[in-house]
Amino acid sequence: MYISKNPYRPIKSEVMDVITETSTIKTIKIRPGEPIDFKTGQFIELTIPGVGEAPFTPSSRPAIKEMLEITVMKVGKVTEAIHNLKKGDIIGLRGPFGNGYPLDEFRGKEVLIVGGGCGFAPLRSLMYEFFDHEDEFKKLFFRGGCKTSKDFLYRKEIEEWAKRNNINLELTVDEGDSEWDWKVGVVTTILDDVDMDFANGVAIVCGPPIMMKYATKKLLEMGFRDKNIYLSMERNMSCGIGKCGHCRLGIYYTCKDGPVFRYDMIKNYPDIWD
Amino acid sequence: MMEKLLLRGDNFLKLVTGLGKDYSIYLPELKGNKLHFIKHNTEDTSNLSNENISYISLYRTFEPLKNFFFKAREIVAEDFKDDIPKHEEKPYCIIGVKACDLKGFLVQDHVFLNHDYKDPTYIKNRESNLIISVDCTSPIDTCFCLSMGIKPYPEENFDLNLSPIDNDFIVATGSARGEEIIKAYSSLFDKIGPEHLEKQGKNRKASEKIVEENIKQHEIPYQEMFSGIIEKNYEDSAWKDEASTCVECGACNTICPTCHCFLLYDQKDEEKMARLRVWDSCLIKDFALIAAGANPRPFLWMRLRNRFEKKFDYFPKVANFYACTGCGRCISACPGKIDIRRILKRLVDNVHK
Repeated sequence: MYISKNPYRPIKSEVMDVITETSTIKTIKIRPGEPIDFKTGQFIELTIPGVGEAPFTPSSRPAIKEMLEITVMKVGKVTEAIHNLKKGDIIGLRGPFGNGYPLDEFRGKEVLIVGGGCGFAPLRSLMYEFFDHEDEFKKLFFRGGCKTSKDFLYRKEIEEWAKRNNINLELTVDEGDSEWDWKVGVVTTILDDVDMDFANGVAIVCGPPIMMKYATKKLLEMGFRDKNIYLSMERNMSCGIGKCGHCRLGIYYTCKDGPVFRYDMIKNYPDIWD
Repeated sequence: MMEKLLLRGDNFLKLVTGLGKDYSIYLPELKGNKLHFIKHNTEDTSNLSNENISYISLYRTFEPLKNFFFKAREIVAEDFKDDIPKHEEKPYCIIGVKACDLKGFLVQDHVFLNHDYKDPTYIKNRESNLIISVDCTSPIDTCFCLSMGIKPYPEENFDLNLSPIDNDFIVATGSARGEEIIKAYSSLFDKIGPEHLEKQGKNRKASEKIVEENIKQHEIPYQEMFSGIIEKNYEDSAWKDEASTCVECGACNTICPTCHCFLLYDQKDEEKMARLRVWDSCLIKDFALIAAGANPRPFLWMRLRNRFEKKFDYFPKVANFYACTGCGRCISACPGKIDIRRILKRLVDNVHK
């Protein structure tokens, strides 16, 4: 648990490895200077000394305490600095913050996981949590989509998941090529063959806003209840502790009350997908 | 609460000089027609004239009180150290604080003290600074505290409160620290008589009357009418109309005693790393922008609506109060003449007419 008296203080941590995933995405392996015991779906704030901070949900197995991984797409100032990190560099970590996935709500149920693009990062952590407690969940359905085969984050790893028992897995890309032998089309097109008890099942969606918007629409059409759809909302989470005001969503702060929200909690707020 | 006491005008100067040993004293001073909190040199009380003393009761200062507790720019963490940075300066004793600014603590305390994560820098400032509030004797034309449920004289959240009676003051204590000061300087205080209380009541009524006139003249609704004004007006044309003159300067945010948003800013010189907590403004375009490029409020009118939503929808829902003090600072600060009184009237009229 985070025991710091000063919630703005980063914990001194060391970069152990940097893995290039795609042309714009890297995974950073970090050894936290003090234990960070995160629940899957919670996030940390990563500090590049002198550059700034940005929030990331760890993509690694929560059970592994001594090493934490984050998977980062290069989009801004901090993420660019993260992409320039090398083994041995010193960074800062704060957290974990937020609510994480409510695993207790998923137990004994059929669970559909829908991911897109960089959304695979938090979902990877979640999937390992599911695999570590396999007998507690009735059945897993995984549906993943990316733009092209070259952007497909963790492709080899995800393809390994398909070989497990108790999982039904399908992948797609928007534009196919010779490297791709799964489906072609947007991710909503591979939801049609999901065969589960929608009214009692749980759906977890994580990906770019546009994908979450259409996936949620589709899930509702399929018969999922709005209170059983879990979304990872993306907002400007700066302080991580519900004070700085940037990530407000209605009566919630995404950093404190999220980043995972049940759809029924937020569906009446306009512009949630922007 | 201890019994009320009388502090004679010349003893007020002695009290200020005494407190100056432990505190940096800030008093309102008149510059043009605006009052500003100015640091007072307690080594030399000769520069504190009766005129200066009269400034402490007039009306609220130009800048909000929050800057003494939640500073515009403050180092909140250094390197990887848990301790908050040490300051050489003495704690502040702020004299002449008005009731409207004290309501600001409802919001600031809610944000910085009352959550799972507390802000240690704010806690330190809150614990160490001394507040000597004063009744408001000359509310100005932008004042509408009464419509926000506040009287123009402090009732809580102060260490000591002064009510001017001619050249003297009735002193009320509002905290244990206030009581300690009364004890430590007991020779400076006299007993009050019923005539003093009568005078205090009269003065307070007179100030209320001024604010009531403001409210009547500008047809400002009382907060009892505010229920649902944001939800029911969410898609109303008011937001676009009212935001048409906004120049995105953020003055309304910096001047507001309840605005609390900030950004964390890191700087590094040589080997030292500092994290600063800096006031931010929700009217600025990139306030809610995320690195990947999405912006939930790309238009100015959405950001103006957001400011009102935060104060008149979010805070009443999560904390049971409207986050406005009626100080009117945003009215005077806005170069686009965006007037919170006019907007509130419009929103309330839409709902109730």
